[in-house]
Amino acid sequence: MSKQDTQSGQSGLSRRQFIGLTGGAVGAAIGSYALGQHFLGQPPTINKRKIESAEFTTDNQTTDVLVIGGGMAGLFAAVKAHDAGATVAMVSKGRLGSSGLTPFAKGIFCYDKHNSQISLDEFVEKVTESAIDTNNPVFTRQMAEHSYDRVQELKAWGFFDSPLYNQSFMRPIEERRIPLHERIMITHLVKQDGRVVGASGFSLDSPKIIHFHAKTVVLCTGSGGFKPNGFPVCDLTHDGSIMAYKIGAKITGKEWNDGHPGSAQNSGSSYDNWHGQIEEKPSTTGIEVHHDLGVDLNYQAYNLGAPVTMAPPGAQTDTELSGGPWIPDAFRHPDRRPPMPPPEPGLAALFGKGRPSGPPGMGGEQVGGSSAGMAIHKSEGLVPINETGLSTVAGLYAAGDALGSYMSGGIYTQIGSSLAGSAVQGAIAGEAAAKQSATLPHNPISAANQRHNTEQILAPLLRERGYSPAWVTQVLQGIMIPNFVLYIKKGRLLEAALAYIEELRDHHSPMLMAEDLHALRLAHETENMIITAEMKLKASIMRTESRCSHYRLDYPEVDKENWQAWINIEQGPDGEMLFEKQPFDMWPNFPANPVANG
Amino acid sequence: MPIHQISGCIGCESCIKSCPTDVIKLDQETKKAVIAYPEDCQICHLCRLYCPVGAITITPEKSIPVMVSWR
Repeated sequence: MSKQDTQSGQSGLSRRQFIGLTGGAVGAAIGSYALGQHFLGQPPTINKRKIESAEFTTDNQTTDVLVIGGGMAGLFAAVKAHDAGATVAMVSKGRLGSSGLTPFAKGIFCYDKHNSQISLDEFVEKVTESAIDTNNPVFTRQMAEHSYDRVQELKAWGFFDSPLYNQSFMRPIEERRIPLHERIMITHLVKQDGRVVGASGFSLDSPKIIHFHAKTVVLCTGSGGFKPNGFPVCDLTHDGSIMAYKIGAKITGKEWNDGHPGSAQNSGSSYDNWHGQIEEKPSTTGIEVHHDLGVDLNYQAYNLGAPVTMAPPGAQTDTELSGGPWIPDAFRHPDRRPPMPPPEPGLAALFGKGRPSGPPGMGGEQVGGSSAGMAIHKSEGLVPINETGLSTVAGLYAAGDALGSYMSGGIYTQIGSSLAGSAVQGAIAGEAAAKQSATLPHNPISAANQRHNTEQILAPLLRERGYSPAWVTQVLQGIMIPNFVLYIKKGRLLEAALAYIEELRDHHSPMLMAEDLHALRLAHETENMIITAEMKLKASIMRTESRCSHYRLDYPEVDKENWQAWINIEQGPDGEMLFEKQPFDMWPNFPANPVANG
Repeated sequence: MPIHQISGCIGCESCIKSCPTDVIKLDQETKKAVIAYPEDCQICHLCRLYCPVGAITITPEKSIPVMVSWR
């Protein structure tokens, strides 16, 4: 049983105070008008606010461990933190088991040591070979080692009995009476006295600000993309890593990109792109190490132009294309063709499970951008300082796709390992957070910090003029999604894209406008995506080599002399973005000594 | 249209909760689900699958043109 304190009251902020915060928007509307007409077919108007700040109430929740995110990692983090003796609260932007990538994952890797053809050592070695050294073998091994136990628990909860996961996820949460706060967007983590003490956010259903006071926080927020078309991740906008970055956490993995293509027909339909695979029940997968989700197809399309068609495996190619992303010998397709799907794809290539209907575009024309800047699983997120997923901020843990664990490396290697890794990492982080919480006193979020967060949350709602988040997101997509920017990279073009993104960061992000709670969510998501875009471009500029899913046309070779390292990103004292190299075989150094990078 | 129609809604709010992108809202007067933000529909079909009475129909076309990496 969890002990929760609830207090309610008005936010105490006048409308005048908010307007004072949000000045500087005058003059921007003219540019917005011209571009807005072009992009959305209708001119912007003065903010037609449907909700007033005075309507907002404030809710306070107190817990030992706060788990943010309701997917596979969040489920296990909450369960294991509870079972380790802590009080736990769960908060999710969506519904448990029905948001982020989890609902679409249909395969979970299960390593049974008694019935495996190869040893754990051999498995880790194989992954490292495919990942060209970019994986962290501690997390690769951890995922495989614990996967069997997590799968057994999921079985007991009924996970494998339905294509929909809400019911099976609710079972252990209800049994433990863990308080669940759904449809709450967390926008801010709070750091006081050098450690995380909670988080603030708002409800998507009613005008309510919520502050969660917690001893430790486990971020299970997934990673994200730029609301890509044809992929069911439009609610994943890197919220967790950007919140964590703002309180000093190191972030990694921003140069890697998921290279999933989409179907040319109905590119925007994720259901049809995946041939309705969501309606299948999940199942387990065994060892099958690949070199998947790279940018081979992007290279082919870049050089030869559209149409690009995915042929059945083993078919002869009519064009021998030289160059392109380097694939380790053991993982090359026999005929050296780029972009062939693995033998049993589908969402398989992503999470893992063989199915006959195939991936997007199977048998038809493909287009890029289905993934649109999406992270490689487990390789883009908070930098861990040890195997529990503890970040560089005291008391702040991450698990699953929110953690830059490099379980697979800069390329996806083991089918089904993403879901297994989320379960395993969530369980370990949850238990570690509970144990740490037991040694800590409560340190409530201060009134000043509560006020600060409330002001920032509501700012887009209070602006009379500004920019529509939907329009800014479309502009962002127009900058980041073309094949020649984030996939087939070149220094000069990355710099050019960065100039656009910096404009959005400096001039548009501060003027995002919201008329209701839906748009307020979009405004905060858009801000997170802009910061992510800056990170992705700068990390891509810094990494002057090509490896796994990072391909530089101007640095096409793997550079083992200079780049046996990950890139970590941290916010500097003046708000600047700092970058450092972290050697593949080391945990991060404390205290940090990052170098500035433009 | 992406999510196209809700017909025969019983007001259980399953679709509202299960939509990852907050497309569906409850009409406060009729107490039935309405398609409030179709442009944000990612056509994932979770709402349709969670609906206990089969009230939701979805078509594969987005309501606005989509950005892709090449065409």
